[in-house]
Amino acid sequence: MTESLILGLSSGSACLATCGMVMFPYLMAGSAGVKRIATDLSLFLFTRLLVYTILATVSWFFGQAVFGNSVVRNVVPGILYIVFAVMLVWYAISNNRIRECPAKIVTTVNNKKLVPVFLGVVNSIGFCPALLIILTNGATQGSLVQSYLSFLAFFIGSSVWFLPLPLAGKIRKKEVLKTIGILATGLAGIIFMIKGITNLIGGLIYG
Amino acid sequence: MDKVLTDAGMKKSFGKALLYTLPMLLITFMFISGGRPDFSNPATSLAMMITFLLVNVLYFMMHYSGKTDQYRAILFIIFAISLSFTLISNMIATRNSMSFSQADILECKIPFCHLVIPMMILPAAFTQSIIFPGSIIGGFASIAPMIVLWLVATLVLGRGFCSWGCFYGGWDDGFSRVRKKRTITRINEIWKWMPFAVLILVSLTAALTLLPTYCSWICPFKAVTEFEKVTSVESAAKAGVFVSLFAGFVVVLPVMTRKRTQCSFLCPLGAVNTLSNKVTPFTVKIDKTACNECFKCVQACPLFAISRDNIRKGEVSVFCSKCGKCVDTCPNNAIHYGIKGVPAGTMKYFSRNLFLFVSFLFIAVFSAGSIINSLNSFLKLFF
Repeated sequence: MTESLILGLSSGSACLATCGMVMFPYLMAGSAGVKRIATDLSLFLFTRLLVYTILATVSWFFGQAVFGNSVVRNVVPGILYIVFAVMLVWYAISNNRIRECPAKIVTTVNNKKLVPVFLGVVNSIGFCPALLIILTNGATQGSLVQSYLSFLAFFIGSSVWFLPLPLAGKIRKKEVLKTIGILATGLAGIIFMIKGITNLIGGLIYG
Repeated sequence: MDKVLTDAGMKKSFGKALLYTLPMLLITFMFISGGRPDFSNPATSLAMMITFLLVNVLYFMMHYSGKTDQYRAILFIIFAISLSFTLISNMIATRNSMSFSQADILECKIPFCHLVIPMMILPAAFTQSIIFPGSIIGGFASIAPMIVLWLVATLVLGRGFCSWGCFYGGWDDGFSRVRKKRTITRINEIWKWMPFAVLILVSLTAALTLLPTYCSWICPFKAVTEFEKVTSVESAAKAGVFVSLFAGFVVVLPVMTRKRTQCSFLCPLGAVNTLSNKVTPFTVKIDKTACNECFKCVQACPLFAISRDNIRKGEVSVFCSKCGKCVDTCPNNAIHYGIKGVPAGTMKYFSRNLFLFVSFLFIAVFSAGSIINSLNSFLKLFF
């Protein structure tokens, strides 16, 4: 759970850095009173939680079906952790990372009330490396409840960053925060890379 | 008056430099001898005398030559090596090994170092407990005196602690001076924000797990101090991380870049000290009227604290550790030690003398014990 929370906290900042500026105007558009901002933000976060609950269920049952014996249970997730962690680190250091929010297209829907819901869905299933890591984590948990808890921790970690969204316009030095957030994401990737290597070696040695 | 000094730089006459060194001679004598010199043990007496002479000759040379960085670096590097030697010899004397066991952790026998401090803040605030398995007071490298020393030094020197007080910084400072030319010349400046990312991660993980995660998993200096006994895949992975990070950030990258890469890209305490630069009275100032924008200081700075933009704006960034390399490099004396609130280009002599006295006194007193101990161990071979 701790790892999931850390991953959520670190990748959430980068996620906000990429998508925050797209979501902000839509969440805050119109006669944006505190009540409406709170409603839209709640709807957005609730949708994310719902999608993560589904993903937790799917990943856990997938893990149960695929990771049969203890060797496969350590080795395959070990490899997946390493691959996804490399992707996450690459995301952090690459100059070619996606600069535009994938959820941008959703903001073109006509029904503005549904925008937070669509944003929540697209934001959750963006299949960024961090989500792929958490899917692997969910698939290797001992029980379905643990898988839910792992996703819940990831959700909490990544959602914390969206809470001050109404204040985004007032934050100075956004570029510095974005840089630190992206670097933290890369470091979280390294943590999972080491976890993957440890899993892999442990699985090969001890089965 | 300062304007006529530009050609002469910060040099002083022999007599004047000696006069400036007198207070340092007196204070270091008191600290090193404890006020009552005891010559009963020849090895210890000689070690004390060598240390006393070393620090005072270096301080004298700073005033006499007008150069700061090269003499600071000598003491800084000796401090780092001697401290590691002292730590290792102490551990071998007490537990016959550089590695520590779970029993040592449970008995709180792990020596404390200042790099743990940022990780202790959140757990201490929320649980009123200290997460590091060391002794609070008394014994070797205990927690309370180290925190007090760091706090005082950081409030006075700001990030100057990283170049005048940290007993690890001398390692990558030393390796960054090995080669005359850099192999890697272009480094993206975004990496200088990395210590803040490390700080966030280690603070959060420490708060969530109530363990000093930086010490457990990242600290490259574990390779030259103490580390967890290798008994599992996890502890082997940790040892691998320590050695790799030491080799990469403390040895190879400093040699290739001539920069202090561990301090610039990894150290979480460096991030905290960077913030403390906002409150310290001492700073490094750029006199724009004297600067001809040769940018030699940008190349020289080992911590990415000066960029071309900084030169144009006329101020160094908060990353400055006041090591003095840029001050020594500047051909026009446009960069100088200064005091906040005093305009750039004025009170150069006074600011430098005051800063040197405070910062050098700290490193001299702080390092003396380790240097004496290391010399003593060496000299015992002959006596």
